[in-house]
Amino acid sequence: MAQEVSFPATAETATPEVSGNRPLVELRAISKSFGHVQALQRVDFCIFPGEVVGLVGDNGAGKSTLIKIISGAYQPDSGTILVDGVPVSFHSPRDAMRMGIATVYQNLALVDQRDVAANIFLGREPTRGIVIDRRRMVEESVQVLQQLRSDIPSVDVAVGFLSGGQRQAVAIARAVHQIAARLVIMDEPVAALGIEESRKVLRLIKQLKAQGRAVIVISHNLEHVFSVADRIVVLRRGRLAGVRRREDTTAAEIVRLIVGAEHL
Amino acid sequence: MEQKLSEADLDAQREVSQCGANVDAILDELESASGVELLTRAGPGGLRGFLQALLRLREFSVLSATILLFIALSLATPLFPQLDNILLVARQISILAIIATGVTFLFISGEIDLSIGSIYGFLGIVLASLIAKYGFNPWLALVMVIFLGAIIGLVNGTVTTRFGIPSFIVTLGMLSILRGGALLASGGWPVMIKLPREDPFLNITSGHVAGLVPTQVFWMIGVMVIGGFVLSKTRFGSHVYATGGNQEAAVLAGINTKWVKTINFMITGALCGVAAALLLGQHRNAFPLTGTGYELDIIAAVVIGGTPLFGGAGSILGTFLGAAVLGMITNGLVLLGASAYFEPVAKGSIIVAAILVDTLIRRRRV
Repeated sequence: MAQEVSFPATAETATPEVSGNRPLVELRAISKSFGHVQALQRVDFCIFPGEVVGLVGDNGAGKSTLIKIISGAYQPDSGTILVDGVPVSFHSPRDAMRMGIATVYQNLALVDQRDVAANIFLGREPTRGIVIDRRRMVEESVQVLQQLRSDIPSVDVAVGFLSGGQRQAVAIARAVHQIAARLVIMDEPVAALGIEESRKVLRLIKQLKAQGRAVIVISHNLEHVFSVADRIVVLRRGRLAGVRRREDTTAAEIVRLIVGAEHL
Repeated sequence: MEQKLSEADLDAQREVSQCGANVDAILDELESASGVELLTRAGPGGLRGFLQALLRLREFSVLSATILLFIALSLATPLFPQLDNILLVARQISILAIIATGVTFLFISGEIDLSIGSIYGFLGIVLASLIAKYGFNPWLALVMVIFLGAIIGLVNGTVTTRFGIPSFIVTLGMLSILRGGALLASGGWPVMIKLPREDPFLNITSGHVAGLVPTQVFWMIGVMVIGGFVLSKTRFGSHVYATGGNQEAAVLAGINTKWVKTINFMITGALCGVAAALLLGQHRNAFPLTGTGYELDIIAAVVIGGTPLFGGAGSILGTFLGAAVLGMITNGLVLLGASAYFEPVAKGSIIVAAILVDTLIRRRRV
C-alpha cells in the first residue's frame, strides 16, 4: 500500500510547463523493488495537462517500472501517487484507466483480423438493443482518427493490413476515445518503425498535446525525444538522474545524465 | 489452444486476411496471362468491383467448391439436381450443420471440442430414456437434454479455461467418458420410444412441411441464422472473434475471455442436445454408439468452411457451405454407385483439397 509521505518536491522535479498549474499526475518518493533488485528508489515525477514528457535512461534504469506504476500494473512499495492533487492507489490498470490514464503497449494489443473500428471499440462496442451500432462505431472512429490527423484509408480495413504507424494510430485512437485519456503513456512507440512511420507517430503525439492531453514517451531515440518532449526525465539505476526542459538542455547533457557524468 | 501465437502463425494470419488486398493483382495477372482485358476498371459498382467483392469474401473458395461440385455431380448423374434429392441432402446435413454452428463459435474463439459426437450420442440415450423409461413429456425432456448439454459444455469450458488444460485433451477425455456413459445408461441396447406416429414431437423434429421440405432443414436454418446473427451483429460475437484473434488484447480491453470460451462450449453442448432430439424423432430409437467418429465430419465442415483452427476468423455461412460440400459428396457417391468404403477416402481428399485451394488463394503475393 502506498503510504503518505510528505516530501518536498525538489526544484528539479517541479519545473512545470505552466507554473501555478496543478500537475495532472504526480509521484512522490516512489520506491519499488523486486526481490533484491531495487528498481526505483525515491523517484519523484510529475506531468501537467498538455505536456509531453520524454522518459529516458539506459536499460534497467527503471523506466518501465515507473510507467507500470503510473498505469496501475505495479503497486509501489512506498511513496505516493497523486492524480489532480488527490492521493490515489491503483490496484490494476483498470483503476488507472478510470482516472483517464491510458497505456499504449509496445505490442499495441490489437486484434489483427478485426477492422479498425472494431479495434478502436474493442470491449466497449456500442449497441442499439442487442445489435452492435456499427454506424456509430464507424462515424466515431473516423472522427477520432481525423482528430489525430491519421492517414488510415478506411476504418473497414483489418488492422493486420496496416503499417506500423497506422497501427500505432489505432491503438492511440482507442486510448483517446474509449478511456477519454487525459494522460497517454507510450512505451517505445517508434522502436519498430521506419523514418516516415516514426514521423507520423511523432505527429500523433503533437496532436495529442494540442488536444490538451499529457503524454509520457519512453524512447531510446534522443532525436525523437527532443522533437516532441517539453521536458525530459532521466532515470539512472532506479534513481532520478535529472529533469531538463528541452530548451535548456542538449543531447550531450542528456547522454551524460543517462550514463552518469563520471563516465565522460 | 491457450498458448500464444508464434510469429509464423501471425504471418499466416496476416496472409489469410490479405486475400482481399491481392485481388487486383490476381485480376491483373489473369488479364496479362490471357492477353485480353477481361474487365474494365470500372468503379466498385462494375463487374470488376463485383468480382473483387466476391474474391474478398472469406467464403469465396468454399463457395466456388460448392458450386463446382454441384455442377460436376449434376453432369455426372441426372438424379442429383432433382428437388427430392436436394432436399434429401439438405436433411442429411441438417444435424451436422447444427452442431457445427456451435463448433464454429468455439473455433473462432480458439478452442476445440472433440467430445461433440459423444455428447450427441449420450444425450440421445438420455432423451430416449427420459421419454420411454421415465414417461417424461418429450418437449420437457428435450429442454432437459439441451440443459444437460450446456452443463457438459460448462464442464469442458471450466476445466479448459480455469485450469489451463488444452481443450483438445479435456474434450478427448469427455469423448471417452460420455461414450461410456451412453453404453452404461443403455446397457448397450438401443432405447426405443413409443410415440404414436402422428405425435407432434415426431412431426416437428423429423416431419415434413407441406409434405415436402423436411422440418430438420428449418431447424438447421433457424439455428444457423441465429448463430450467424449473434456472431456478426452482437457484442458477444465481436468478443468471440477478439478472444480467438488476440487473447491478450481482448483481456486488456476488459473482455472476459474465459467466460466467452466457456459459453461457446455450452452453446456447442446445447446444440448437441437439439441434434440428438432431431435424430431421435427420425429413428424413434436411440443407439449408444450414435455419433462415434462424428466429430471428424463436423470439424471437417467447419474447417472446409474457412474457419481456421487457430481462431480469430470464420463464419457460419462458411460452415454451412462446408457442410453442404460434405453432404453432396456422400450423396453423389451413392448416386454414382460407388462402393460405400470409398466414401471416407473421398471425404478426406476433399477436406485436404479444399484447404489446399484455400491456402493457395490466400497465400498469393504480389
